[in-house]
Amino acid sequence: MRIVKLSFMCLLATATWFCHGASAVADPAANADAPVDMQIDDQPGYQPSAEEEQLAGPFERQIVFFRTTEAPGTIVVHTADRYLYLVQPNSRAIRYGIGVGRDGFQWAGIKKIIQKQEWPDWRPPPEMIQRQPYLPRFMAGGPGNPMGARALYIGGTVYRIHGTNQPQTIGHAVSSGCFRLVNADVTDLYDRVPVGTKIVVKQAADL
Amino acid sequence: MRSLNKTRRLSVFLASALFASFLAGCNANQPIDAGAQGVPSVPSKISAEKLIGRWGVAAYHRDSDRPRTEGEARRQCSNPYVIKAGANGGVIMHLADQADPQELFLKGSSSGSTYLGPAGMAAVAADREIVAISDNSFTIKWVSPDNSSRYGTMVYIRCS
Repeated sequence: MRIVKLSFMCLLATATWFCHGASAVADPAANADAPVDMQIDDQPGYQPSAEEEQLAGPFERQIVFFRTTEAPGTIVVHTADRYLYLVQPNSRAIRYGIGVGRDGFQWAGIKKIIQKQEWPDWRPPPEMIQRQPYLPRFMAGGPGNPMGARALYIGGTVYRIHGTNQPQTIGHAVSSGCFRLVNADVTDLYDRVPVGTKIVVKQAADL
Repeated sequence: MRSLNKTRRLSVFLASALFASFLAGCNANQPIDAGAQGVPSVPSKISAEKLIGRWGVAAYHRDSDRPRTEGEARRQCSNPYVIKAGANGGVIMHLADQADPQELFLKGSSSGSTYLGPAGMAAVAADREIVAISDNSFTIKWVSPDNSSRYGTMVYIRCS
């Protein structure tokens, strides 16, 4: 696997909390051309409304034309574009809008999905506990959990594809290397993808 | 005829009063509204000393998650939540979403429930209710529905 950027802090982090360090979100208006990061905290327990979870425009789940040599059923992530593709036959793919790792936390490689989990648990990272000492150190999965409705674990890494209770972060560089989708989308992907699925993570589309 | 009308009016009045008291009776069993003023506090049956110490903390939303949440709370003693004694007989803890701790007090209520929060009325929005307690653990539920939905039911397991 080729790691493009991975900080020392990443290496020290554990898989249980890795994806939820202090998050950063790009300015939505600027995102279409050049994503810019800004700081936003996780919101444990926040339950977005149905309207908030309904994505619009390019980040809405849709079938697109997709030229690739990857076999149908493969997951392809284009980090720079904030899209995750599930390859379909006949040069098509299902495209999902995603949130990706913020600067310094992005990576690339070819891996496999090794585990799937409904309503995964969440452990606030230590720096969050430091800021909010009253937080539980462990929150069992459920609505309002920052890990969202589903998680797919990427083998050989500490990263996951997971849901989120912050739909506004889709399309932005927000995480510590995980890929987040709105809960409806991650549930849709979860239902389509078996354990063992190949996942190709790229910084940008091949030209 | 006039006497008959009076009887009818009296019957309607009595029926209305009965229905109103029935509704009031139903309402008395409803959960306390966190937006309300709370209820007068009475001395707590739980002493502050029972809360003082180092605690592993975990939370859940679904009752089916409670057993493993207790196990997770036990495993969090490497990063415990520390509760100290306050100067006025309370305990030093955080309110929800407050970065700085303050002295909170155990407050009883006429219903028998025990609340933990700022001095004054019991069952106010800032309070949490202590729903179970033993020497080695206690469980709280937030009175505010908003806090409750965000933080769930929190389990504190004493660290040795």
